[in-house]
Amino acid sequence: MSDDTKTDPDTKNEPETKNEPDKSEPDTTTEKPEIPPRRRTPLIVAAVAVVAVIAIVVAFLATRGSDDESATESGGDTTSVRIGEVAGNAAKPTTIDVPVVEAIRKKVPQEILDRGTLKIGQGALPAGFPPLAFVGTDNKTLTGTEPDLGRLIAAVLGLKPELNNATWENLFVGLDAGTSDVAISNVTDTEERKQKYDFASYRQDNLGFATVGASTWEFGGDYRTLDGLKVAVGSGTNQEKILLEWQAKLKAEGKKLDVKYFPDNAATWTALESGQIDAYFGPNPGIAYQIAGTGDTFRNAGTFSGAGASLQGLIAATTKKDSGLVEALADAINYLIENGQYATWLKTYGLSNEAVEKSEINPPGLPLENQ
Amino acid sequence: MTTTATPAAIAADPPAPPQDPLATRKVAPRRRYGRWVVTAIVLALTVEAVRALAANPAYQWDRISYYFTLDVVLDALLVTLEVTAVSAVVGFVGGVILALGRMSGNPLVNALSWAYIWFFRSLPLVVLLIIIFNASLFFPRVGINIPFGPSLVSYDVDGLLVPFVAAVVGLSLNEAAFAAEIIRGGLLSVDHGQIEAANALGLSPWRRLRQVVLPQALRSIVPGYVNQLIGLVKASSLVYYVSLVDLFGIVYQLESTHVSDKVAILLVGTAWYLLLAAVLSVLQHYVERHYSRGWEVRR
Amino acid sequence: MTTTEKTEKTVEGVRVRNAHKSFGPHAVLKGIDLDLAPGTVTVVIGPSGSGKSTLLRTLNHLETLDLGYVSVAGELIGVREHNGRLHELSPRQVRRQRARIGFVAQSFNLFPNLTVAANVAEPLLAHKVAGWDAAYTKAYELLDRVGLKHRCTDYPRQLSGGQQQRVAIARALALEPDLLLFDEPTSALDPELVGEVLAVIKELARSGRTLVIVSHEIGFARDVADHVVFIDGGVVVEQGPPAQVLDHPQNARTREFLGKVR
Repeated sequence: MSDDTKTDPDTKNEPETKNEPDKSEPDTTTEKPEIPPRRRTPLIVAAVAVVAVIAIVVAFLATRGSDDESATESGGDTTSVRIGEVAGNAAKPTTIDVPVVEAIRKKVPQEILDRGTLKIGQGALPAGFPPLAFVGTDNKTLTGTEPDLGRLIAAVLGLKPELNNATWENLFVGLDAGTSDVAISNVTDTEERKQKYDFASYRQDNLGFATVGASTWEFGGDYRTLDGLKVAVGSGTNQEKILLEWQAKLKAEGKKLDVKYFPDNAATWTALESGQIDAYFGPNPGIAYQIAGTGDTFRNAGTFSGAGASLQGLIAATTKKDSGLVEALADAINYLIENGQYATWLKTYGLSNEAVEKSEINPPGLPLENQ
Repeated sequence: MTTTATPAAIAADPPAPPQDPLATRKVAPRRRYGRWVVTAIVLALTVEAVRALAANPAYQWDRISYYFTLDVVLDALLVTLEVTAVSAVVGFVGGVILALGRMSGNPLVNALSWAYIWFFRSLPLVVLLIIIFNASLFFPRVGINIPFGPSLVSYDVDGLLVPFVAAVVGLSLNEAAFAAEIIRGGLLSVDHGQIEAANALGLSPWRRLRQVVLPQALRSIVPGYVNQLIGLVKASSLVYYVSLVDLFGIVYQLESTHVSDKVAILLVGTAWYLLLAAVLSVLQHYVERHYSRGWEVRR
Repeated sequence: MTTTEKTEKTVEGVRVRNAHKSFGPHAVLKGIDLDLAPGTVTVVIGPSGSGKSTLLRTLNHLETLDLGYVSVAGELIGVREHNGRLHELSPRQVRRQRARIGFVAQSFNLFPNLTVAANVAEPLLAHKVAGWDAAYTKAYELLDRVGLKHRCTDYPRQLSGGQQQRVAIARALALEPDLLLFDEPTSALDPELVGEVLAVIKELARSGRTLVIVSHEIGFARDVADHVVFIDGGVVVEQGPPAQVLDHPQNARTREFLGKVR
């Protein structure tokens, strides 16, 4: 009877539903299910990854050329070197003409001449130390007294300057391994370093103590005034060595000097301003620059020679010992001194008071034991 | 038994409601007063924080937009991305090899994998980068004129190749060690019955890994690994130790050059890193969804 | 089966000799000898911990024996003979042997990341027995035989337990093995789903393949088995035709076990 069809709730019309568990067996359809396409997703992902890796490495090498040294133009034998470019407050851009000097160029090792570039190491990572070496206002170019001197020296030697930036410690590693031919980065001539490197001096090394403007403390050339102070210094530097020796001497006398380290220049000045430290012991030009730029915030509390109490400290161009380059460097610097470009360079940066009369090869430096 | 039933009997499914009012009205929900108070406080704090953030001139919003899209910043961002991407891939491959090594029956392979993982997980990344930089300066000197493209022939590659390669090598070595344990955890989490079934079907170990174990393990691996990746993005900030300037390096440099814009620059750096992490998290979502195919709860 | 087929032992079935296996200090198989005729259905029963699952797994070398050997159709499983001693086969050789033995586990163990069809096609693709299209075509045929062709694009999790087990059986049949092993195929299923799986197994039983089934479905054993083996404490306590072992057990332990299970 027709009653059944109305009242039986169980039969549904075609249990075609795929995503529900069917309680009844399906009707046998004769349709053939489609064969799914061959999915090669993992293979594709792997291939893309490999290609991407190779592409990135290649692209990196091809597009990131070494620093484009557009700050120099060679017109035959004379190069117009632009110094003080994008240096902000540190210097006004100036152009200096530097001829190529064949006699000096002959003294450069053949390998460098063949290469045509002079690899100049800078220790300005992660942040530089104006006005000596820092990234300029265009945020790209290394500028300051040190890179600029490098450019001038390269011009004398008829080589293209290539600036290699590194952390301070890696600066010396670069010299050892040959990544840099010469380091021109406010490196002090010391007896200890002379064991591994050759020096051609080019500037006085004067260190200074910076304090906040309100402080009345004076260094007065006597390390004993440091008793009870917290002083910051750069790690691995010449001035660190001096300061640590004073700390040892004070300790022997029952006094105390606290030496603090900060990761970079900016952090140090902030710490000084906030009172975290009492003084900063560092290169005098840097201190002078900072003071000049910030009004009364800081003051200079005294200077000291980078070579100790008895000797004038010297900043020198540094190369690996017996690399054969040091003579050419000294001659080039002397040429610049004799022909006025040196004076112009220092004047541009306001450091004429740090001039030396001539460039010396391996002059006496900070003694192994500070007197 | 007759199947006829009166319509009234069918419609009368629910029993006639009793007349008791208590039983007929829904239960009144509990008023959560504490929750209201907390909500009000949190809301007030949030609004105040956002307002303070937006209004504070120290944040220098105009300078932020300048630095956010500055060309040197974007270049450095690209460096970060490149270094991270290459290290992530190489680190993952290394991690898979090490994980399989740790699970190997060969005692020597097992021990070597363990030693690698122990060493590179313990050694601080900074120290590793310094060691590599010192060492790598000597190795690539040996005949390294790679003929990739015409522009490379004219100047020597040393200055470029070394920092990028040193950074990638250091990050990859470090990454592989951490990835290995994450991957091994994922591999172990695969039900043993799966392995037994694969063995019973005579699948080779490679086929078994590819078709059965790895796809299932990846479900557990992905969250942990993306965690690692985000860490890698941040760890890449150390590459200035090998003279490679990345996003962090440029931020550092900019804020020491432009001291008056320090806060804006730091915020820009923060924003970019947050953005990178967010992108990775979104990608993670899609990857996890792909690998969860088949795991949806049935019915 | 005709009597001539039974007495003609030109093709050997499953033979187990002196099987011993211990897991650490715990001895699970303590000397088992079996001769199972080809084309027959053997149901292995016994209490839990008796070693029946372990025994089953030695038949396709998923477990190795400490002592003794297993042979299927005259071929030693997992080992070869040389100079009177047994030597382990290489993993590749073992895999090839396993391709000729189908195995269905209690917990189905379908690959959750693959569709139902992909699961069944996997052994064919892995052993390079068929190309992509041919493998899937074969998979659909097998799924049709177990009545699940219409679920071929679903994932295992979307199927009921009984359906999953049927897919597992289809997958085990993909390489056309002569020997099929079942480890408690219905123990993980809800009671109402047991029937559909047993129906499939019954059909296989009639197909002339050799089946060895570990199960506690006594009624099923009675229906389908040609031979019943009762294992307890790592040894064969009693074996014989179902009518004898199940209905008129000779051994007291058998009687005790059956009494608990009924």
